[in-house]
Amino acid sequence: MATNPRVLIIDDTEEVLSALCKYFDEQGYEVVSADNGLDALKLLDEDIPGFDLVITDLVLPNVSGVAVISIVKKKFPKVPVIAITGWGEHPEALAREAQADLVLEKPFKLPDLEKAARKLIAGGTGR
Amino acid sequence: MGPPIIGVSKHIQHIRELVDHVAHTGLNTVISGESGVGKEVVAQNLYSRSPRLGKPFIKINCAALPEGLLESELFGYEKGAFTGAEQKRRGKFQLAHGGVLLLDEIGDMSLPLQAKLLHVLQSGEFTPLGSEKELRTDTWVIAATNHDLKQDIAEGKFREDLFYRLNIIKIHIPPLRERPEDIPPLVDFYVKEYAEQLGGENIEIPSPRVIDRMMQYGWPGNVRELQNVLKRMMVLGNCDQIVNELFANQSENIGGPAPVSDIKRPVSLSDLLDLEGENSPESESFSLKAIKRKAVDQVEREIISYVLDKTDWNRSKAAKILKISYKTLLYKISDLAITPPPGKKR
Ligand SMILES: Nc1ncnc2c1ncn2[C@@H]1O[C@H](COP(=O)(O)OP(=O)(O)OP(=O)(O)O)[C@@H](O)[C@H]1O
Ligand SMILES: [Mg+2]
Repeated sequence: MATNPRVLIIDDTEEVLSALCKYFDEQGYEVVSADNGLDALKLLDEDIPGFDLVITDLVLPNVSGVAVISIVKKKFPKVPVIAITGWGEHPEALAREAQADLVLEKPFKLPDLEKAARKLIAGGTGR
Repeated sequence: MGPPIIGVSKHIQHIRELVDHVAHTGLNTVISGESGVGKEVVAQNLYSRSPRLGKPFIKINCAALPEGLLESELFGYEKGAFTGAEQKRRGKFQLAHGGVLLLDEIGDMSLPLQAKLLHVLQSGEFTPLGSEKELRTDTWVIAATNHDLKQDIAEGKFREDLFYRLNIIKIHIPPLRERPEDIPPLVDFYVKEYAEQLGGENIEIPSPRVIDRMMQYGWPGNVRELQNVLKRMMVLGNCDQIVNELFANQSENIGGPAPVSDIKRPVSLSDLLDLEGENSPESESFSLKAIKRKAVDQVEREIISYVLDKTDWNRSKAAKILKISYKTLLYKISDLAITPPPGKKR
């Protein structure tokens, strides 16, 4: 990739969000983050260069991760989306219905997530 | 249709922003908040800003109908589906096709019906009672509730899978007492509206001082109670007295409805109305009309509190016992500022 990939990361748990941001930043991504769905939608609407990838938690205040996925897939069908979820949560099925490219259950290893992210950005399936 | 979402608090600003960003999505939505906070107003605003504007906006109250009736209202039925089904009838899902279906008081829906609703939301299809055919529906489902649905799930009263399927967008409206700064603009808006309706001259409207006091009050019935108080002020005049009564009734109601034993003890009405004290004929505010209203209010408050107490605050049951409509009961609860005992949800 010529420039650093831009990733939007959404999670309402502060520790998770900052850990994800820190890791992706260290791996050379340009990271933008939101701790709720509405802020994420605003970023998606306002952000001019656009994102190469969206990583979102599913259970979020106001606009859920499931909603973010459906909206992204409608407005920016080419942008890949990874859903991360607490294990055994019902929204997992909803995330798949909303066409998330990958649903990853917590706990997962950061390098695994990053590897999947890289593949998706390159146009693969992320698996 | 309906008023705009009035208010200047950060809560209301946030809600308006949320509405603007999600109205086009048609994703299942849950609007939560106490009775009278404006859940229906928010639903109407979502609809008005959506591409579904102009298509049907259908509302059904899941608490007001017994299970069987609610089911046939939602899904419709064929002629002869059950005794009494003399005509085929279209259900709300069919009527709302292309538009919005507002499921009010979703927390009161029975578990079997929740399962059927879940099926419709998963498949986009439903079957009228007594029919063989599945019908497709493209309906934006917006649910409203004054329950804590998480709590209902913990108590086994609400399906978790349905909860997640509905909660794609969540909009919570905090009670008016947590956003008193919305009171002046609401007063302003409704004073104008009611002045137009009343049409007379010399209508008394609340002074800045009265509005200040209104901002101190708890508003258990939220914006609906505020509307009722405003109407009363503009029809009866004497805003000061009306606002005083609010606070007086509030302190009476602390600790919830009167205990049953209190109600059985015969009380003299003149005691109840304080005819020797504040409401004596010597007092400036004395008038037969005012006293009569106070007496009726007192009696209604006692009886309704008593029945609510007996039914463990099951309002549909209480409405049936009182032989008034569910709507009327909710109105009276807020108008008479009847508050549930601590620990009971309103
Ligand atoms: N922010 C607001 N701006 C303007 N009007 C409002 C607002 N909030 C509430 N109202 C008005 O207050 C009244 C009660 O609101 P609404 O019916 O939407 O409440 P609700 O939450 O649906 O109540 P319930 O739980 O009893 O069904 C309505 O007449 C509505 O128009
Ligand atoms: Mg309502």
